[in-house]
Amino acid sequence: MAEVRYEAASRIYPGSEEPAVNALDLHITDGELLVLVGPSGSGKSTALRMLAGLEYVDKGSIFINDVDVTLKPPQERDIAMVFQNYALYPSMTVGENMGFALKQAKVPKEERRKQVEEAARILDLTPYLDRKPKNLSGGQRQRVAMGRAIVRSPQVFLMDEPLSNLDAKLRVQTRTELADLQARLGTTMVYVTHDQVEAMTMGHRVAVLKDGILQQVDAPRTLYNEPKNRFVAGFIGSPAMNILDVERIDDKLKIGSLDVPLTPMLAHSVSVASTSDFAVGVRPEHLSFTDGGLVGEVVVVEALGSESFIHVRTLHQGGEQLLVVREDGQSAIQRGDQVAVTITGPVHVFGADGERLEA
Amino acid sequence: MSSKTGAVVGQNRPVSFLLGLVTWVIGLLFFFPIFWLVLNGFKDELDANSTPKLFFDPTLEQFTTVTESQAGVLSFGTAFTNSMVAVLVSTFFVMILAVPAAYSLAIRPVRKWRDVLFFFISTKFLPIVGVIMPLYILGQTLDLLNTRTILVVLYTGMNLPLAVWMLRSFFAEVPKELIEAAQIDGCKLFGQIRSVILPIVAPGLAATALLCVIFAWNEFFLAVQLNPQSASTIPQWVASQESGRGNFLAKISAASVLATIPVVIAGWVAQKRMIRGLAMGAIK
Amino acid sequence: MSQTVIDRSAEVKRLQRREGWKRRLPLLPALLFTIAVTQIPFLFTLFYSLTRWRIDTTDPREFIGFENYGSLIGDKFFRDAAWVSVQMTVASVLLSLIVGTGLALLLDRKFVGQGFVRTLLITPFLVMPVVAGFLWKSQMFNFTNGVLNWLIRQAGFEGTEFATKYPLASVIIVLVWQWSPFMMLIVLAGLQGQDASVLEAAKVDGATSWGTFRQITFPQLRPYLELGTLLGAIYLIQVYDHIEVITGGLSSSKNLPFYIAQRSVGGGNVFGLASAYSIVVVIASIIIANIGLRVLSGLLEDDS
Repeated sequence: MAEVRYEAASRIYPGSEEPAVNALDLHITDGELLVLVGPSGSGKSTALRMLAGLEYVDKGSIFINDVDVTLKPPQERDIAMVFQNYALYPSMTVGENMGFALKQAKVPKEERRKQVEEAARILDLTPYLDRKPKNLSGGQRQRVAMGRAIVRSPQVFLMDEPLSNLDAKLRVQTRTELADLQARLGTTMVYVTHDQVEAMTMGHRVAVLKDGILQQVDAPRTLYNEPKNRFVAGFIGSPAMNILDVERIDDKLKIGSLDVPLTPMLAHSVSVASTSDFAVGVRPEHLSFTDGGLVGEVVVVEALGSESFIHVRTLHQGGEQLLVVREDGQSAIQRGDQVAVTITGPVHVFGADGERLEA
Repeated sequence: MSSKTGAVVGQNRPVSFLLGLVTWVIGLLFFFPIFWLVLNGFKDELDANSTPKLFFDPTLEQFTTVTESQAGVLSFGTAFTNSMVAVLVSTFFVMILAVPAAYSLAIRPVRKWRDVLFFFISTKFLPIVGVIMPLYILGQTLDLLNTRTILVVLYTGMNLPLAVWMLRSFFAEVPKELIEAAQIDGCKLFGQIRSVILPIVAPGLAATALLCVIFAWNEFFLAVQLNPQSASTIPQWVASQESGRGNFLAKISAASVLATIPVVIAGWVAQKRMIRGLAMGAIK
Repeated sequence: MSQTVIDRSAEVKRLQRREGWKRRLPLLPALLFTIAVTQIPFLFTLFYSLTRWRIDTTDPREFIGFENYGSLIGDKFFRDAAWVSVQMTVASVLLSLIVGTGLALLLDRKFVGQGFVRTLLITPFLVMPVVAGFLWKSQMFNFTNGVLNWLIRQAGFEGTEFATKYPLASVIIVLVWQWSPFMMLIVLAGLQGQDASVLEAAKVDGATSWGTFRQITFPQLRPYLELGTLLGAIYLIQVYDHIEVITGGLSSSKNLPFYIAQRSVGGGNVFGLASAYSIVVVIASIIIANIGLRVLSGLLEDDS
């Protein structure tokens, strides 16, 4: 049980100009499942490894339960980590793998056996205790990696893309088991993934990183509804939010002939802004097909059964835009149809710097 | 042990069979000289020195002659012990030195690891015949001539570069995350080597040790130059069977057979492990 | 938060330096030992190479600078021995590689007694060089009683004195006989690492055996072949025992180590000159190996 704090923590690899992690400020509360998410190269794994002690911290500090662990070696931090490739010791059995850290801590044999068996029970690994990793399936190995972490009852769990190597179905199943397990154990968990669906479904809060810089950290719903900038808006949500180029005419924003519906506050912000450089974001579920909207042609229909995503190519004086529109259930629309698209939901306006204007 | 598993549809049975036969023939031909050597060991000198015979009256006379201790002559027993000691002790030291060195060069390597490897290998470019004089003088000064110690030291130095080279590439096969996991689990250097690395590289270790044993056991020049008398090894014992008078073909054959048996047995037993060890990552 | 951010770079540097030493430390015993055992004699040899030193006279050893190296250039025997070294090493390495690869390919299949045949095939490598030389000289090559000549005469031809008429070839034959198994083991290891699915794909695409070998197997074997070449060359350059036993040092089979030995402990007694020869051999080897390893081969590639 512990709270974790990154205070302006940076990691700069020798010889490179840009920091891999740039002044990260993050406060993770006790018992929280915090997800670090971002594209490749965003620094999320590096940030995790800084917490683990596998990377140096060049600036700032990292605290676990108010103890400054910034430059302490991994052995002294009381953390457990699950690696993407599980890193199971091939020459040891499942039981020995799970008990290894306890053995290093000189826990007596009986005690060790008890803890290993308990962890195995929680993860349904009891029948496999005497097998070697090479005789296990991918899903079983993943659970052994989890078991190895649980047995130690650490202050913090660190997960580095633990589900990436599982097939899609198993991934979804394990996702919920993992979240459930964390809730039951109540141990603080820092979880790294590049999959934003995983992030949104598992995290109590999600921290979005890009190029080493923290973009936003919030509960999933807040991230979805109130993305701080263009990047977060486009990253969170699947399919991605439609981001459109707009023209500012007088104090209105237009896409072709369509007026962008603005709340009073947004309209005010637009009118007092000095630039005309704006982008507008609309989620697929906030677009629909009604007459009088932006005209375009359907290029792709993704029929998922419970919903459909229709990709429309619209043409107007401003240029060409590709929009994704969501329809409930099974759509009658087909590829090649001519349609008109209107905005029927909240709109996000981004300034020239990418920041979202207050709505 | 082959990379081709099972039968494939349409595999050409007659060609396959023929190839198998060819392999057998080549194998037998390759082995033939050794077979002949063993055969000659069981002949008396008359038979051995006449036109090649496959059938003869076998005798153990040669074997008994060479193994009997004679005054003033290096005995089989002494030579065998000397060889065993020199080979086993030097191989042991080679491993003790090479394992940590391989760790340094493979797991989170020092920056100049390539240069270090090259240095190790380059020590083998120096012709032994060229340094024999300094070695002799040093040996004399340190009063180490005619001892097993000097051979142990030199054999270790001789095999160490090879062992470092091979072990490094085996160690490099160990995934970095395994080491990190071991660190997080609380292991320091020694623990990492013992619990994680060694079990993984064990076949590679065996392959390397076997090669060291082979090269050390068969080494002749240094043994002759530095240990002309009491601490001489098996290779020299074989050479000393050459007597000035009469025929000695059968005698040396018998001696050769005896001298070769230990290494041959080791090689036969360990060959599978050797191949597995080499396949594991002698190449990187 | 207006507090200044803690700059850890000094601490990090310190930790990295300490880490650096922790990494270097395990290397030191092996490194120091090797330096002591090899470099000290080497320095002695270097020193001797700058002196005139004859064992057979009572003249004191005198310093003569680079004079030995000067005489080396004019020494025809040195050049001949160097040429023999080149021929012997290149021929035995190449032939062993070819034969070894062929053997490995033959062995890399399932057939009755595969393990037994493999055992037969590796035995020549395990035999002592002096024994190998002896058995070939007196039992295979021998003019009167050798098996080879016996076979030749059975076929109706005249026998030959292999060791005296073809000394270099005789030595090479024995070297190849001994070292092919070593190459075979290395190549077998390489073949084991082949991806079965790639081979199957090739079959489906209609590749012939030779085509599959040339375009898929061979490139994959390259690092193994390079390793075999490196290790083989290192040992085959130093060949001495074989020559001593088989030809006694007939000049067309006299390589550099043998020549050097002859000029020093073997009766030439000119230790200063012999030392200079050794130094030249070392330097040449280092240059060649450097070119080979760094430019041509991927053996020292960083895998991280």
